[in-house]
Amino acid sequence: MTSLPLPHDMTLAPLSFAARRSRVLGVVRRDFAALRRSPIRIFEILFWPTVELLLWGFVTLFLRTQRVPFVVAFLLGAVLLWQVLQKASNEISIAFLEDIWSRNLLNVQVSPLSSTEYLVGLVLFSLGKVVFAVAVMAGLAYALYGFGVTSLGVGLVPFMGVLLLLGWSLGLVGIAAVLRFGENAQVIAWSLVFVVQPLAGIFYPVSVLPAPLQAVSWFLPASHVFEGMRTVMAGGAVPWDRLAWAGALDVVYLGLTLGLYAWALGYARRHGKLSRFGD
Amino acid sequence: MAILEATRLAKRFGPVTAVHDVSITVAEGEVAALLGPNGAGKSTTLHMLLGLITPDAGTITLFGMELARHRVEALSRVNFAASYVDLPGPLLVQEVIDVFARFYAVRRPKERVAEMIELLELGPLRRRRLMDLSSGQRTRVQLAKALVNAPRLLVLDEPTANLDPYAGDRIRGLLSRVARESGAAMLITSHNMREVERMCDRVHFMAEGRIVAAGSAAELAGHYGAEDLEEVFLKVARG
Repeated sequence: MTSLPLPHDMTLAPLSFAARRSRVLGVVRRDFAALRRSPIRIFEILFWPTVELLLWGFVTLFLRTQRVPFVVAFLLGAVLLWQVLQKASNEISIAFLEDIWSRNLLNVQVSPLSSTEYLVGLVLFSLGKVVFAVAVMAGLAYALYGFGVTSLGVGLVPFMGVLLLLGWSLGLVGIAAVLRFGENAQVIAWSLVFVVQPLAGIFYPVSVLPAPLQAVSWFLPASHVFEGMRTVMAGGAVPWDRLAWAGALDVVYLGLTLGLYAWALGYARRHGKLSRFGD
Repeated sequence: MAILEATRLAKRFGPVTAVHDVSITVAEGEVAALLGPNGAGKSTTLHMLLGLITPDAGTITLFGMELARHRVEALSRVNFAASYVDLPGPLLVQEVIDVFARFYAVRRPKERVAEMIELLELGPLRRRRLMDLSSGQRTRVQLAKALVNAPRLLVLDEPTANLDPYAGDRIRGLLSRVARESGAAMLITSHNMREVERMCDRVHFMAEGRIVAAGSAAELAGHYGAEDLEEVFLKVARG
């Protein structure tokens, strides 16, 4: 057995930028390593988006034969952007749930990793997975249906940005629900984003919804993205005013959900729930 | 000098008083045990000391810093292992230790991971996944994780609970050596009284959420007129 290493200057100053970067990248490295060692997870990242792309792609091919204008681009653009929202939401929740499933949550919570650093790490890794999945889907959409995602023009980046922020907010609500109500609330983490789906005018204009639901829809940042996408694809300009409103809503929701997460973590600590996860 | 000072901790879960008026001090380099029957409040107390559970009353000071206000700085110098906690199963042994080296902002993580692998004799296992290891092997990885930041306080909740006598003896030997050579303080819970007698300088007995006795194993045996700590335990448990 080797001699015991001495602890002199073993760690960086805990509040320094270098220490914070180390902890955030620790989260990213852990999630990347877990993904790399789980071929089924890699397969799963691409499987459902591809199934959805194929399904809606064939639907649009059929509708094109019926001479429905613009529908191919509308639906394929919607499928691609919907994946941004869904993946941003689910990936951040899953990363948290994996700490529970592997009974590792206590190790994370007693480490000097702060809540902010933990969440930034989760967000960075989920961003990587979203970009990867969307890039593969965009390539498939072009190869199979001749749909180029660049047809969304300069609006593509802000469209995706708005959806990412909303997805992360929804993911945080899912995590907060698990912290507050325990592991049985996992279903909320998985399904919350699907509550948004019918209200956000993803595959149809918001005007199709009944008036009361339209009022709700305009408070969803995603609704402005999908309406804006259809405007651009119909040859209009990027509706920057809509995007600004959507961005402002995102900021408000992100602030609220961060507050909700902090409250739920405090609740879990007060009620001893962290200790009981994975029992 | 006290590196851990918990004063008058209390915790209730609904109608149940889990911990009542518990005060514990652990000095630099001291190996202390927290003993008691199941449900005595040991794990709740440890989890309060680690910031996992917020106490209803009382204060916790680590290295002179109040835990509630200086969580990141305080926890940087502490580490933890428990028989009921696991590490991410799909990761390789060296990846797990590396991840925690980064969580604790270790200066030279690669070198430190290599040191931990050598110290815990994990060389042949370094490229194996956690989920493929035996209980004893996983416990050694847990300890590598727990030592990666050279903690000044190591909190161990039943560290040898799932191990056979041989594996348990190896872990006890290693922990004694860590305490002796690194000067790290330890706070341990265990149901193995011989383990406690062998390793610990001071013992705190808990029953029904309170500390009911404290002292060295010999002092407690003398106080209770018992031959050993196991007999003390039985007397305390029977009230």
